[in-house]
Amino acid sequence: MLQQLLVLIAEGEVRTQRGLAEALGVSEALVLQMIDQLTSQGYLAMADSCGSGCEGCGLAAACGAQHHLRLWTLAEKGRRAILNGNQGTS
Amino acid sequence: MLHHRHHRDYEATDTSAVELRQARSTGEGTLVVALAGQPNVGKSTIFNMLTGLNQHVGNWPGKTVERKVGRHHYRHPHPYTRDSGEPEQAHHDVDLLLVDLPGTYSLTAASEEERITRDFIIHEHPDVVVAIVDAAIPERSLYLLSELLLLPAPVVLVLNMMDVAEQEGVQIEPHVLEAALGLPVIPMVATRSEGVRKLLEAVLAVAGHTYPYEPRRPTILPAHREVLTNLIALLASYVHEPYQVDWVALKLLEGDDEVHAMVEDLVPQPVSAALHDVLHRHEDAILDIAGARYEWVSRMIRAAVLRPRVGQVGLTSRLDAVFTHPLWGTLVLLAILAGVFVLTYAVGNPLQGWLDGLVLAIAEGAGRWLGQVGAPAWFSALVTDGVLGGAGMVVTFLPILTIFFVTLGFLEDTGYMARAAFVTDRVMHAFGLHGKSFMPLLLGFGCNVPAVLGTRILDSGRARLLTILLAPLVPCAARLAVTAILGSALFGEAAGIVVWSMVAMNLLVLVGLGMLFNRFLKKSEDSVFIMELPLYHLPNARTIGLYVWRNVVAFLQKAGSVILVASVIVWLLSYLPAGGDVTQSYMAAIGRALEPFGRLMGLPWPVLVALLTSFVAKENTIATLGVLYGDFRGALSTTLSGPAALALLVVQMLFVPCVATVAAMKQETGSWKWTAVGVGLLLVLSLGAGILVYQVGTAVVGG
Repeated sequence: MLQQLLVLIAEGEVRTQRGLAEALGVSEALVLQMIDQLTSQGYLAMADSCGSGCEGCGLAAACGAQHHLRLWTLAEKGRRAILNGNQGTS
Repeated sequence: MLHHRHHRDYEATDTSAVELRQARSTGEGTLVVALAGQPNVGKSTIFNMLTGLNQHVGNWPGKTVERKVGRHHYRHPHPYTRDSGEPEQAHHDVDLLLVDLPGTYSLTAASEEERITRDFIIHEHPDVVVAIVDAAIPERSLYLLSELLLLPAPVVLVLNMMDVAEQEGVQIEPHVLEAALGLPVIPMVATRSEGVRKLLEAVLAVAGHTYPYEPRRPTILPAHREVLTNLIALLASYVHEPYQVDWVALKLLEGDDEVHAMVEDLVPQPVSAALHDVLHRHEDAILDIAGARYEWVSRMIRAAVLRPRVGQVGLTSRLDAVFTHPLWGTLVLLAILAGVFVLTYAVGNPLQGWLDGLVLAIAEGAGRWLGQVGAPAWFSALVTDGVLGGAGMVVTFLPILTIFFVTLGFLEDTGYMARAAFVTDRVMHAFGLHGKSFMPLLLGFGCNVPAVLGTRILDSGRARLLTILLAPLVPCAARLAVTAILGSALFGEAAGIVVWSMVAMNLLVLVGLGMLFNRFLKKSEDSVFIMELPLYHLPNARTIGLYVWRNVVAFLQKAGSVILVASVIVWLLSYLPAGGDVTQSYMAAIGRALEPFGRLMGLPWPVLVALLTSFVAKENTIATLGVLYGDFRGALSTTLSGPAALALLVVQMLFVPCVATVAAMKQETGSWKWTAVGVGLLLVLSLGAGILVYQVGTAVVGG
């Protein structure tokens, strides 16, 4: 199921936990748990949602809100795992 | 060896460890029961309820993690057997030694809590492990259960907080779950002491083997069954009690560092090399092993848990069905943005007009007073026209900005902004733009500088460059403020919808250019990410207040620094060399040089100069108009024709970004060439669009 999740994420479209949950037929809570596990194992990476350059800007506060967003990207290890997984099944 | 080295940890000088061992040696009457579960499932409540004051709190040997051990004396009415003993008398007194294991989500070696939990069960073989689960979100804890079932102790499952589950509409069937899992499942409401007796009976039944304990564990997928068998064969003669070779092999395959280190200590070199080889070839086995556990969890959940249908499960789901929908979500976003602008100007405009009058009155009064005290004419002009007319004029737009930030803060705090981000990203994908580009572009609504710098999250250089070039098209707060001010001065009542159209125009241009660039530049690897959508909640006045305050302060600081200096420079250029006659000033000379361009757009030279000064900071457009026109609202609405007014807004929206953004573009692209391309592109685009709007507009309405 984790492999399936990685493949879904790698399809390229931005996903929400709910969208992934529906695609896998599980609950959102379980998807979040899987995402956390994949992140801690290095298959996914949490993206820094704000660049480090905010100090230079007088209106940086306007984007302060976006700091709360949590985003995940597919890490190199995840990309490799998908490739390996595909080779394994084909 | 494996056994001994780790066993020592448990024989450290810890009284409760001694107590534990004594409890074991007293035999018959005392059962060791460990409580396991993730944090916040009510584990401590159950522990405290059972042990009362009869508990001992210390630390796990050599660790900073709290260790709680306590006793419970239970007189149960039914006979039970322990260790296949004979049924005994009607009342049976049992002493339970309860150990509160640290809260954990799984049993990897990732944290101290997890290591303590699994080591305790492996080394101390508690008679029963009670796994506590939050009945409202049982899947969270079932992964832990799937790992507990691999350890050498029987498990009783507690579904705690049944009341909360019920409130949230989660229907969970303990009997069905029990049948599916093959172990006792006890519903409880620990806060009301409901289900305690049943729990204790179940613990005794399992410990006494009167319960048909046949847990169904997650199975390993066929792909890794063979390699697991190989590993077990490799390890069989080296792993001894209390470790079980199956578990050790499985953990190795999962990539468990701690078990790996232990095994390294244990096996001779050739075996170690063989292990390395196997594990290297199956380094992603964790995906299948843990994946199978998740499948097991979801099977259990499907069997025993009935959730309200999606769409009824609460406000968030219901709202998201609309707000994140590709079509409805986009329409809602556009409507909300339109609402924000209309509200901002409907409420902000009268306030701005009032403040405008106030600043003019102050300027007039200051001028008169300076005249009376005999200040030189140039100084009087500097104060009234330069400082108050420029920077002061900018400050009058504080109400509009404040309302704008209040509405944005409100949307942010309710959790809507994340949906807006999600929807926009979808749209961008539909147009072939890089999905991840969206994040930095979103930042651009605040300020273009972080937008440009934020492109660092993009891993492909091509996508970064593209995003940097497009970022200035996202109207920043300052650009929006200027548009708002000009919009209200030129279009009055219709300002809200006009400004909204301007923003829509910018985003359309952005998307159009993105598609165009995308065609010419080679497609890179796909963007991949998951976005968390927080729950909707009622906004908090304090949070919004802080958000508005921070922004207002930043704006005022800017007005008092960059804009003030620029205002004074603009004033100097408009004052010198003729000493007050603007039409003979340096500024006029610059403006006149540009006039042929201006004529194509129906814009007089002061407006062109105002646009030029926006290069320093966007708000300078307003400051400059204030310096050159005095009451520019009145002046502009009488001088500019309708098409010219629209052309001004269009040019202003698409015009080159401020110098700070250009500097950031240079820094991030590392190339003057690309920076020049970006700036030149916008210059051509804005002037071209301005000319087009004016010419077409004049042709249609006849100027």
